[in-house]
Amino acid sequence: MFTFLLIIHGLLAVALLGAITHQTLSVWWPARKPAGFVGRFRSVPATSYANAIVVLYLATAALGAIVYTEYRVVVRVVLEQLDLWKQNGVFELKEHFAAVALGVLPAYWYYWRAPLAGGDARTRAVLTALLAFVVWWNFLAGHVLNNIRGFGS
Amino acid sequence: MNVPRSFPVFAVVFAAAYAVAYVVCVMKNYALFTYHPAIYEFGLGVQAPKDGPAMYWYGWMATSGIVAAAAAYAACWLPEGLTRRLWSGWSWAVPVAVMVVFCYLLRGYFLR
Repeated sequence: MFTFLLIIHGLLAVALLGAITHQTLSVWWPARKPAGFVGRFRSVPATSYANAIVVLYLATAALGAIVYTEYRVVVRVVLEQLDLWKQNGVFELKEHFAAVALGVLPAYWYYWRAPLAGGDARTRAVLTALLAFVVWWNFLAGHVLNNIRGFGS
Repeated sequence: MNVPRSFPVFAVVFAAAYAVAYVVCVMKNYALFTYHPAIYEFGLGVQAPKDGPAMYWYGWMATSGIVAAAAAYAACWLPEGLTRRLWSGWSWAVPVAVMVVFCYLLRGYFLR
């Protein structure tokens, strides 16, 4: 059951990673004309991604919170026995970053739907970058931890 | 979908208050509830481990959510002249600062 949930968690994380990366690049490095793969990657209609990103973040975090119970009982103990402290620390940061980013979601959602004044455009861009950083960190941390001791190993 | 005019104040204060409340909850262990994953049991408040590890993470988020929601609702009742001056950047500056604090708090994992 946990393996199934972990796979769904991973698939949702991949979708979230793609969406937030598209949106972040389109805000911080907008393409004047969508030419080539990178140009088209940067020129997506970023506003239309915001709702999907909020829903994907909540769903990924909820599944991660369920899977975390198995990690705490089965995986973390082994990491401690193997003296893998850096890997353990990476996961500790993942859990705290995920929690902090949850609190940012209402502001992120609001600044992507509101018509923006000058300072609010910067707020929108930084909130998007913050969320992208957390999503990338958590994805890579989860991936590395799963490689060390995935469920069923 | 229309949002109330006070929503930006709520969202900015919520983001900042949640981040601060969360780091305080982690440091002082103010968990609203504890989960015992080995025996699939929830308990109110902070409880000692029973037959395996105790998980406080869910409880920390619950406590922080309640504190942040209360602070954000209270901010919505402030006079508009005051809230208009609220910098929207607090919604990211405080969470970023809290993330840096966590890197510092957890440095022991990386310096062994």
